[in-house]
Amino acid sequence: MDFKRKDKTKELIESINACSLMDLEGIPVFSKLADNIALLKKLFADCSDFVIREFKQKNSVIAIAVFVDGLIDTHEVNQALKTLMVLEDGDENVRVIEEVLLPVSQITRVNDYKQLLQAVLSGDTAIIVEGNQEALTLGIRGAEKRSVNEPEGEAVVRGPREGFIENIRTNTSMLRRKLKTPRLKMKSAVVGRETNTNLVIAYLDGIADPQVVEEVSRRIDRIDIDAVLESGYIEELIQDSTYSPFPQVMYSERPDTVAGALLEGRVAIFVDGTPMVLIVPTTFWMLMQANEDYFERFQMATLVRWLRYLFLIISLVTPAIYVAITTYHQQMLPTTLLLSIAAAREAIPFPAIVEALIMEVAFEALREAGIRLPKTVGQAVSILGALVVGQAAVQAGIVSAPMVIVVSITGIASFTIPHFNAAIALRMLRFPLMIIASILGIYGILVMALIILGHMANLRSFGVPYLSPLAPMSVGDLKDTLIRAPWSNNEKRPSFLGVQNARRMDSGFGDQIQSKGGGKGGSGRSSTNEEGKT
Amino acid sequence: MRTLWKIGLALSLLVVTGCWDRREVNDMAIVIAMAMDKEPGGLYRLSVQVPLVSNLGGPSGGGGGTSGDKSYYVDSAVGKTIREANSTIQSRMSRHLYYAHHRIVVIGERLAKEGFSDALDIVSRFPENRLTAFIVMTKGKGMDLLIAQPQFERFSGEAIRELVKAESIPVTIKDISQMLNTPGVDAFLPIFEDVDSHPKGKSKEIQSVGIGTFRGDKLIATYTNYEIAGLRWFHRATPLNQNVSLGQKETLSIAFQNAKANIQPAIKGGRVHFNIELHGSAYVTENHSSLDLSLMKNCKLVEDKLTQKVTDDVKKVLEQTKQTRSDMIGLGIVLARNFPKEWKDKYRNTWDKEIPRITYQIKSKVQVVDIGQTTKNIMKEERL
Repeated sequence: MDFKRKDKTKELIESINACSLMDLEGIPVFSKLADNIALLKKLFADCSDFVIREFKQKNSVIAIAVFVDGLIDTHEVNQALKTLMVLEDGDENVRVIEEVLLPVSQITRVNDYKQLLQAVLSGDTAIIVEGNQEALTLGIRGAEKRSVNEPEGEAVVRGPREGFIENIRTNTSMLRRKLKTPRLKMKSAVVGRETNTNLVIAYLDGIADPQVVEEVSRRIDRIDIDAVLESGYIEELIQDSTYSPFPQVMYSERPDTVAGALLEGRVAIFVDGTPMVLIVPTTFWMLMQANEDYFERFQMATLVRWLRYLFLIISLVTPAIYVAITTYHQQMLPTTLLLSIAAAREAIPFPAIVEALIMEVAFEALREAGIRLPKTVGQAVSILGALVVGQAAVQAGIVSAPMVIVVSITGIASFTIPHFNAAIALRMLRFPLMIIASILGIYGILVMALIILGHMANLRSFGVPYLSPLAPMSVGDLKDTLIRAPWSNNEKRPSFLGVQNARRMDSGFGDQIQSKGGGKGGSGRSSTNEEGKT
Repeated sequence: MRTLWKIGLALSLLVVTGCWDRREVNDMAIVIAMAMDKEPGGLYRLSVQVPLVSNLGGPSGGGGGTSGDKSYYVDSAVGKTIREANSTIQSRMSRHLYYAHHRIVVIGERLAKEGFSDALDIVSRFPENRLTAFIVMTKGKGMDLLIAQPQFERFSGEAIRELVKAESIPVTIKDISQMLNTPGVDAFLPIFEDVDSHPKGKSKEIQSVGIGTFRGDKLIATYTNYEIAGLRWFHRATPLNQNVSLGQKETLSIAFQNAKANIQPAIKGGRVHFNIELHGSAYVTENHSSLDLSLMKNCKLVEDKLTQKVTDDVKKVLEQTKQTRSDMIGLGIVLARNFPKEWKDKYRNTWDKEIPRITYQIKSKVQVVDIGQTTKNIMKEERL
């Protein structure tokens, strides 16, 4: 019987060949250590970084420690393993080792190879002891990681300067530091057959819509892909509409942005290996807002928001309108302006649309070159772009000066949009708009704009209409969309997200300070009287 | 898939109908001003003023084939209709004539005398033309006004436009069509002429010289600006500067700030009577007398003289109206608004015969609100 079982184990081990972690589900930790060693050696043949450390007692191996070199904190693991060196007879039970012997705070019992190897490959150290069908994993990780820096993609003048890094634990800890509440839940998941990337779905219990949280978990569970190298993979796999140019998932690398989104009732998805944290449900207006809006004075923030809305339209339609007006609707220009444009265009060999396409494509190429190249070379590119393409093209009479102005304004306008992925969407839509403007004039621009608007109104992100709170209109939420109301007035969380516990603060908080008339001390005016006496 | 094709075809209808009226700005001849004249034999002459955009200072290099330093040129042709003349011009012009930016229409004297409404039909019918363009007339040929090269502006059309707004009573195409079509008001047009500047230079300047009044669409009288100064009170134009003479050599120059005329008609015993009230405020710009204007009585003296002058001006206009039977003030409209029934029954169709029979009374009040920085002429002693 015993012999037969052993045979079975051997067969099982031999049947396992070049498989990923998923396939190991249900394969138990064997009670005989030799079987375990055999399996591990087979799985990790030719893995020079995979270490199996054996502990012997009376010439027989009674325990092994399994870890990946470089992922563990060597010093701390050494300290922990000391206890295994002095293992005495009768102590070979993992429960005893866990509860009595090992001075490690993070320790988990596993009985399944999938869990075991997942932990080991994530940086844990596993201990398998002879005669036990359970193994221990010690969470003493110490892989190299970048230090916390100011995020380059989302710079602020006023606001915290820390940004997420590539390590998911560090990232969740940064969020936890902002939200010290048991309400902050962090459900974890693993995605990717080969990468086994850790994911954390963070939300505030009792504030976020439970249905949204559930939907996020469901969509993430459904993902079956071999690798997740960046949160963009997850974004594309969970978004509602794949073929829309508009991003339906926002990302941020700032803990304060993520915390703010959670407090509004949204859900954040941390992905190991990237500083970009996904935030859902995303609405269009959210992409037009920067975290600094909430740190600056509200008047300024409101003005800046309107500036962004204005430049949003400018970045989308300026080249199209220029093309339409100069080829179809010349009567719309003031006479002197038309004469200036006519004078500038006099020597230009191309029609306006070709000119516009040349310049816009050149601009996009310049921008792309500037991003990809090393910083030192990037400067050379911008000089080349500004001088050669800009000045020389105008002087040579290939491109007219007004067109250069239009393209520059469009470029600047698209940079005022705080979230890069929203700016990309608008930049892409500019081209079909320009082409249709060259065919149908302003009528074409209007048709195209209506199509775009209809598409946006049709979009949803996790059940939330993309244009809310404007369409469908929820008047109370416009306080944080059309304007940025001062905090003392902004008492409620956005209702369109289906939040529970909508109140952010007691009402009339601002009035309490106002009613004191600016006086010092407990009861306003009377205290100033007392001061007068002394 | 089939439905997708159908939708695609339907959508392509939106696009394939485009482009037919595509026109690049460098394929256009932008007409800044046009002039219409009558030629012998009932032919019309159309003259257009077109800027040569390549001479307007575009980028260096390349460049069109035009020569000389003139920034515009004028072409003209005759035809039975204006459109025919236009076609003749177009047939020798490499760029498409584009009328949407014309701001001035000049009517030649002969056309004005023989009636210009037929010629204007195209301006109101053709959608490229704008009704907000100003219309003026000239003594002599309309084309001469386009050829004039004023010093300040690049095109004489531009100069006329600025002058008509500042120095005359502006009349747009829309105004003139309303004047021609509304019973109870007759048309008038500002008159401009090309004059030599003094001292004589290369340029020919444009000058506002007066007003021509019409009965129907035919010119019947022309006046200088001063002869018809009273008309400005009724057409929201600031009245002209006035000189007030005290005695023989003592003169004050007065400029108006505000001017308002109020006409109240009445029908007395079958005759139409108009009570005209004029209110204005003025300021002293020059004082050649020895009056000390800080004194109330001196101010009053000036005001009385001025009031008398204003009354005389307006009276002159009304007399001219009665004499020429051309109601340029629009008295008929005022009557129609106040007595719609009587107007409809009695005066509407016979208004031009009724005009010589009207009576009127003028009450004016002009206040001197600003006497300037000094009270009296600092060079003189007071003698009065």
